[in-house]
Amino acid sequence: MRAYIIRRLMLLIPILLGISLMIFLIMQFIPGDVISGMLGIEETPELRAQLEKKLGLDQPLYKQYINWISKAVRGDFGTSFRTGKDIFPEIMSRFKITFQLTIMAAIISWIIAIPLGILSAMKRSSIIDGFVRFISLLGVSVPSFALATLAILLLSKGFNYYPSVGYVDITVDPIRNLEIMFLPAIILGSSMAGSVMRMTRSSLLETLRQDFIKTIRAKGASEKVVLFVHSLKNALIPIITLIGMQIGSLLGGAVVIEQIFSIPGLGLMTLTGINQRDFPVVQGCVLFIAFVYVIVNLTVDILYTYIDPRITYKAGR
Amino acid sequence: MRKKLLLVISTILILSLIFSACAKEPTENADNLGAEQHEEKPKVEQVLKYGTDAEPSGLDPHTISATAAIRIFGQIYNALIDVDDDMNFIPELAESWEQPNDVTYIFKLRKGVKFHNGREMVADDVKYSFERVLDPATAAIGQSYYNMIESIEVLGDYEVKFTLKEPFAPFLTNLTSLYGAIVPKEVVEENGNLMQVACGTGPFKLKEWIPDNRIVLVKNEDYFEEGKPTLDAIEYYVMTDEASRIAALRTGNVHLVKLPAASKPLVEGNEDIVIKSYQSNDYTYLGFNLTLDKFKDPRVRQAISYAINRQEIIDMTYDGEAEVSGFVPSAMGRWAIDYASEDLYKQNIEKAKQLMAEAGYPNGFETTIAVGLLDDIRSTGEIIQKQLEAIGIKAEIQNLETGQYIDAWSNKKHEMMAGRNGAGSDPNRAVAFFFSTEGSANVWGYSNPDVDKLCDLGKKTVDEDEREKIYKEAQKLILNDCPNLFIASPMEYYFVRKEVKNFNPWTFNAEDFKEIIIE
Repeated sequence: MRAYIIRRLMLLIPILLGISLMIFLIMQFIPGDVISGMLGIEETPELRAQLEKKLGLDQPLYKQYINWISKAVRGDFGTSFRTGKDIFPEIMSRFKITFQLTIMAAIISWIIAIPLGILSAMKRSSIIDGFVRFISLLGVSVPSFALATLAILLLSKGFNYYPSVGYVDITVDPIRNLEIMFLPAIILGSSMAGSVMRMTRSSLLETLRQDFIKTIRAKGASEKVVLFVHSLKNALIPIITLIGMQIGSLLGGAVVIEQIFSIPGLGLMTLTGINQRDFPVVQGCVLFIAFVYVIVNLTVDILYTYIDPRITYKAGR
Repeated sequence: MRKKLLLVISTILILSLIFSACAKEPTENADNLGAEQHEEKPKVEQVLKYGTDAEPSGLDPHTISATAAIRIFGQIYNALIDVDDDMNFIPELAESWEQPNDVTYIFKLRKGVKFHNGREMVADDVKYSFERVLDPATAAIGQSYYNMIESIEVLGDYEVKFTLKEPFAPFLTNLTSLYGAIVPKEVVEENGNLMQVACGTGPFKLKEWIPDNRIVLVKNEDYFEEGKPTLDAIEYYVMTDEASRIAALRTGNVHLVKLPAASKPLVEGNEDIVIKSYQSNDYTYLGFNLTLDKFKDPRVRQAISYAINRQEIIDMTYDGEAEVSGFVPSAMGRWAIDYASEDLYKQNIEKAKQLMAEAGYPNGFETTIAVGLLDDIRSTGEIIQKQLEAIGIKAEIQNLETGQYIDAWSNKKHEMMAGRNGAGSDPNRAVAFFFSTEGSANVWGYSNPDVDKLCDLGKKTVDEDEREKIYKEAQKLILNDCPNLFIASPMEYYFVRKEVKNFNPWTFNAEDFKEIIIE
């Protein structure tokens, strides 16, 4: 197991290197550059040359990349072209917010999805099942940005309510923080819940159809025991996989939701970086997001072994 | 098994603790802010909450030109002089000035003006600030505003002399810009630049800045204008989503937002919200890439000018609330000519067709119109696309994201392009900057030696009446050449909660918050 984890972590190195090179090249190819964006109408050739020198953009491309990567491996992601701020501390402070939003959204989605999914599987083909399936289809189909805009519009027009402007850190004022984060978390959570609900239902139905469940039923076990002790645990693997993927991508920042609710998370930072062609920021954010994604996947793989002891990882396999 | 599970859970907990610890505390003042808000005050809190659409990348007045930044550092810094409603120069950090000859300006500074760090502002700071702007290492955006300065001499603590290389009529106008804001040397040296710190002489000082979220300015108790500012603080909330800004305004979470005309119906009938508007000195245009064969012939450009109906564009895009305009909008007062009465501004399809035929395009041609993300520019582009069909020009709209749009603009990667420019307050900017051969914003490839001569003359002519004649002549020449078609000068709108009093935006200083009272 330990060897497996180490091997997976080692694999991170080529993955991150590859991603960093790819992002570097993409940022070179997209039209527009950071200097045009900074100077806009005031751009003159002299000013451009001065800024290129100031930002190190007068160097050949390969040198720029090597300069950046040699610092990055030492944990120094450099400074933003636009703001001049150190990128790594900024990513950490943004990630903290995104992390909280993700966890809140995930918990909300589980609270909604898993009980409803179980109920739907148990009462298969009933009205309840139909209702749950309809709700989950809605959750899958309605994009979260539409839901968010609708929620803001309805709440502000109908109830004169707007989730307080101005983000406050949870360590400063937990109550206000939760008030601000609650609505976006619910919207993200309900979007996630749709697919989790469907997965729970189908995975559970699949398990209930298997022979060992018949055997357990034949032995006279109650439905409760069949469901909660024997079926659910076996049905969990695909659900965990799905949740892992959802969390992984949310940790990279729920860009649209962060933008709509003005939550200063990692997604918003990445988006601003792209819009401003601020290459070090984009590079840093994407690398960090990739790192988090791989770690979440690894965690999910390790979780499998706890849920299903038949799954083992051997080094070299 | 249970032990292992416990291990996993505790690892997750520890990880999240590490994340919290690694993350920089957003602000040391956040605690105080929280505490203040819990205090019960009998009178209304004098805090203006502003829902702003973008976050500034930094607050250095010498290197940043984005509106989102000027909006904020405009409250923090001062220039030497300012202009009033009628475009007359008025004292700011300089209380008076004289001009012994065409190239010499002597400014007497206000006494007792303090920077936000408590130190008095003196003539050395003026010298330092302009030297910083002119230092290539700063890469200051306003270099071209001041590069005619030959020397700056400190004559005493409160007296400073500027000597220019040659007479330069727009010099005083350029001094009103915050590109020449007066900054303290020690703060620049301590921090390397003024991007994330701010220390000026203005009515408000920077208290906290939470990235992508809010910037809080508080009252400068030592501000040099007696009794001002009346507000205790301004809080800028960054809300990029327009629907969110409107919702926050409607619910009273913010007091003031700037929105396009198209948003007006969204707050109609809401008695808590007042719309304040003013005539901008911006104008919208359709620009041609003059390096392309089809646009080289001025007759083609004139034909397009005859083909479009400017009033229709204004009616459909701005609901009628804009003026037909040239590149010196009427907000610039005496410098503007009456564009609406020009023949080229009157729609005349027959004449347009005739000109197209003369230029060798009797059946028109295919082309593109690049537009950016601004709603009014998109709409303008689309209406022009429709109007040009009458003379056989089939234009396709290219919707470009901001970075692409700027790239297309500065590198001639477009055929036609709709856009919006700010004309500034001096005709040298409005005319020479955009349309002289060497003008930095002349991205069109336009060159007319007669215009260049007039621009040069206008720059050196100090007599105002003489200058007026020169620039009016240049305007006529450019208008006839049609390097751009000029369309409309729109209004600007602030949507304001009714409890905000004494807020009266105007063209050259829209966001003067010094006398605002919250009731």
